[in-house]
Amino acid sequence: MPDSAAAHKVIPHEHEPDLLAQLASLTSNLRTALDRFRNDSRLIALADKEVPDARQRLNHVLTLTDQAAHRTLDLVEKSGPPAERTAREAAALTAPWERFRSGKISVAEYLDLIGRIDRFLVTARTDSETVRANLAEVLLAQGFQDLTGQIIRGVMKLVAEVEVVLVDLTRLAGREEGLEARAGSDSQRGHGPAVPGVDDAAGVVAGQTDIDALLSDLGI
Amino acid sequence: MSKDMKFLVVDDYSTMRRIIKNLLHDLGYANVTEADDGNTALPLLQNGNFDFLITDWNMPGMAGLDLLKAVRANEKLKKLPVLMLTAEAKREQIVEAAQAGVSGYVIKPFTAQTLKEKIDKILESRAVPA
Repeated sequence: MPDSAAAHKVIPHEHEPDLLAQLASLTSNLRTALDRFRNDSRLIALADKEVPDARQRLNHVLTLTDQAAHRTLDLVEKSGPPAERTAREAAALTAPWERFRSGKISVAEYLDLIGRIDRFLVTARTDSETVRANLAEVLLAQGFQDLTGQIIRGVMKLVAEVEVVLVDLTRLAGREEGLEARAGSDSQRGHGPAVPGVDDAAGVVAGQTDIDALLSDLGI
Repeated sequence: MSKDMKFLVVDDYSTMRRIIKNLLHDLGYANVTEADDGNTALPLLQNGNFDFLITDWNMPGMAGLDLLKAVRANEKLKKLPVLMLTAEAKREQIVEAAQAGVSGYVIKPFTAQTLKEKIDKILESRAVPA
């Protein structure tokens, strides 16, 4: 005999009103839970603002990594020629310099060598300074890792929150609990880097000049 | 203050700590110690005779603002120059840091020149007795 038929048979007719009442109660609970879920401000904030914001934040991460990579490549490309020039000129001076050291140099070549060494000392110095300055810029360009890391960390937090909300959603039919809204971000901990197009209107200063003016107003 | 000054650089990103450390070296400050958040920085400050603190704001564990407040509340450390070097750019935060007693505020991304100017400015103001 099939199980369903057996189940049918074990419910006596006198229990049907109980069953209907339970079903009505369950339906009502489910409707209340759905209404609550629909009105849950956290869910609305996530769907309306934070998920689109997160997309824009990740897009900003792409921009920052792209800029840092290009800045670094530009500086490496700019550093090659001066470094090569120094190496090439030093190599070209080696042979006449050795002839000078061994006393096998003509007066004309000696005079030429003096002039070349004078010029080399100047260009080697300026070229080395250029390379050194470019290296300092390469160093600063690596700051992207901190800035993008902070943004990605923020998005990871959001993803974890979405996960909690989705888990709540799947539990909804069975249980009402687990719907409490999550606490918002804590200003004391910081917000991370300002992202263009996301944080523009949120009282963010425009740059170091703005900060200096603000601090000056505050007596610092 | 001389170039022998002892700096503590606090940032949770090791890349940023390296950047700041290198820039300080370029400015002639060779004595630089690193910490990755306020919780590790505070005991170092209490035991280390540091002359200058450069800190990030947004860090796990103890954030930079709390570190600043802890420094200002400590009898031994309260006069330590504190430069906030952070991506936090909200007006209310800068005001909050100022109220907590920050000596200078540099926003990331920054330039070597800005860092130099702010350090110099803080040191100059310290050199003149109020």
